[in-house]
Amino acid sequence: MMSDQNNGISRRSVLKGAAVGGLGIAAGGSLLAGCGSKDVGPMKWGGRGLEESSVQWHEAVKTAYETATGNTVTLNMNDANAFQNNLSQYLQGTPDDGFDWMAGYRMQFYADQGLLEDVSSVWDEIGDQFAESYKIASTGSDGKQYFLPTSWYPWGLHYRKSTMTELGLDPENIATWDDFMKMLEATKKKGLIGYALGDKGGWEAMGTFDILNARINGYQFHVDLLAGKEKWTDAKVAEVFKYFEMMIPYMNKNVLDISWEGMRDLLLQKKCGAMMMGSWFSGDFKTLSQADYDDLWIVPFPEINPEHGRDTIDAPIDGLCVAANGENTEGGKELVKWLASKDGMQARLDSGNTFTSANNGQDTSSYDPFQKQQLAVMGEAKYITQFLDRDTRQDFANPVVAPAIQNFLRAPKDINKILESVQAQWDALPAL
Amino acid sequence: MTSTATNTPVRRRRAFSRKDRLTLTAFVGIPTAFHVLLVWVPAIGTIGLSFTFWSGIHISDIKWAGFENYNNIFTGTPVFWDAIQNNVIWLLWFGLIATPLGILLAYQIDRQIRGHRFYESAFFVPVVLSLAVTGIIWNFMLQPGGFVQGIMGRDISNPISIYGNYDINTYVILGIASWRHIGYIMLLYLSGLKSVDPSLKEAAAIDGATEWQTFRKVILPTMKPVNIIIIVITVIDSLRAFDIVYMIYGSSTGWPILGILVFQNISGGGMSMKGAAYAVILFALCIGPMITYLKQSFAEDVK
Repeated sequence: MMSDQNNGISRRSVLKGAAVGGLGIAAGGSLLAGCGSKDVGPMKWGGRGLEESSVQWHEAVKTAYETATGNTVTLNMNDANAFQNNLSQYLQGTPDDGFDWMAGYRMQFYADQGLLEDVSSVWDEIGDQFAESYKIASTGSDGKQYFLPTSWYPWGLHYRKSTMTELGLDPENIATWDDFMKMLEATKKKGLIGYALGDKGGWEAMGTFDILNARINGYQFHVDLLAGKEKWTDAKVAEVFKYFEMMIPYMNKNVLDISWEGMRDLLLQKKCGAMMMGSWFSGDFKTLSQADYDDLWIVPFPEINPEHGRDTIDAPIDGLCVAANGENTEGGKELVKWLASKDGMQARLDSGNTFTSANNGQDTSSYDPFQKQQLAVMGEAKYITQFLDRDTRQDFANPVVAPAIQNFLRAPKDINKILESVQAQWDALPAL
Repeated sequence: MTSTATNTPVRRRRAFSRKDRLTLTAFVGIPTAFHVLLVWVPAIGTIGLSFTFWSGIHISDIKWAGFENYNNIFTGTPVFWDAIQNNVIWLLWFGLIATPLGILLAYQIDRQIRGHRFYESAFFVPVVLSLAVTGIIWNFMLQPGGFVQGIMGRDISNPISIYGNYDINTYVILGIASWRHIGYIMLLYLSGLKSVDPSLKEAAAIDGATEWQTFRKVILPTMKPVNIIIIVITVIDSLRAFDIVYMIYGSSTGWPILGILVFQNISGGGMSMKGAAYAVILFALCIGPMITYLKQSFAEDVK
């Protein structure tokens, strides 16, 4: 434990050094490519996503890895949803050695079941390429690492610069709750929707709940609440919904009619001020027109409680795990080490895929301003959460929390009754 | 017993050759084996799973739960009762409104009222669409930014709230379901009516029966086999309703029904043992009335 902390501190000072001079990291990167070349036999990589862009970058990165190390990789691409739903069967059968997965609870659950390989040794080698918050998100409940981050995106307030300019506002200056309420008021006066929200899918409004809870009660309370260590009947949770309720008059009147696509369209058609969403949707703006994409901006959700500032953000991290039942776990570790390293990520960026790398040492000169802003938004946060449905039990997030928030949006006055019911349903969950 | 005994030996004496037996075994045995393997084994497995706690990973972790999952559903899951309520409303709507409308329509078309060909085709068209496609079509029509909202001049920022408006969405969904169900019932009933001997109706008319009396006392009893099918279809379709709702709301419980709860818990988002328990409840609800009804009808036939 002690040595872990020491490592953490030294890693942080390494990071500070890296921030000053990118050269040191670049040198580290080429050294790593050196370690990756040890012969570990053929290995298999399970990829998620059958859409063309996804297959394309997976194949490009695979080729780059083979060229760089001389190892042979078999790439197996899977449909993302089917892969997610069948993961436990996959991991118990004959899984690929390394596979695409996500950080947080969804990783921890499988780590606890002994289905994931401990990759702490990989972290010892390339851990200095990642921020401390990534390490926390990659760590299982036993304190070991089971995950390597590759890409991520922030959940924040998305604005259109042009709409804000018309209102005489600068999104960058909407930093406190008062600023935020003023912005909502100004957009409403202009006949626009202040805060675009859809919750037909049941998950969209979880983003707003997450950030309000983190802003008001802080990271630790949020995490503990989702882990069942704090109670939903706590007055602190009711406080979160008090703030949520304050925003309702500025929302569109059809929150339960639209899903995330509706939210995106409200912003796209300049019908709203702010929209709380993960930046992954920005590709749709780019597909429509470069002008729309250039007009898009993201800032962190404003500060509410000065004690916590803007120290937490939902920034789901995608990355890689090594399957414990794989045929070549050593090979799997080598594979994920290279894929998550600066070189691996550079190969992925070079293939033309648009996303932000989770690697500290990445050359961001090819990023466009919106990508750079995403990085800045995430870089500001001290704590990274993964999003409610990745941070808590699967049989709780969608079956219990989603309808509870929908019920709240329908009848905000019932919130105490709703929260009592949520807690009762948590208490009734079987211990697993 | 003795009277049947005199008949049966004749049948029994018919011996099968070796080849016949092999053929019969193959024709009956193979499908039965598949049926048992693909239907009964998973069904019993599901029933078994619903009485356990299991994370779905290690078989060794499986724990006996008794009725705990059911207890959780009945007492600790409010959305279950919302779902039951919606399923019951669906059943009542289908049973009292949609199905009788389909029958009425079939009767009128059979009487060849003016424009019956037009009505027949108009109501028949939705039947060829699967329920999933029906859901996609109506979602596209009524959602914000959809076709109907569009021709009313409402864009995505000021639409009429339909699927998210809990005062009306139940009836909108039932309307969509009826759009297909009425045509389906009409089709079934119409094919039945075609086979009713016209002389029966003539005889009734000669005896001075009114239209209603003819329908109730002559047509309805003659149509008994079709009636049974229609009742079975109405009950089962109402309870297993899933496709339309899934296409509109996804696996979220925006408008909960039992089918969605089964899916939500088994496919990724929840715990499979709870999904299994929902499935068993759904199965019990479907099979109970069916067995009772079929038993009764067959019993009457024997008399």
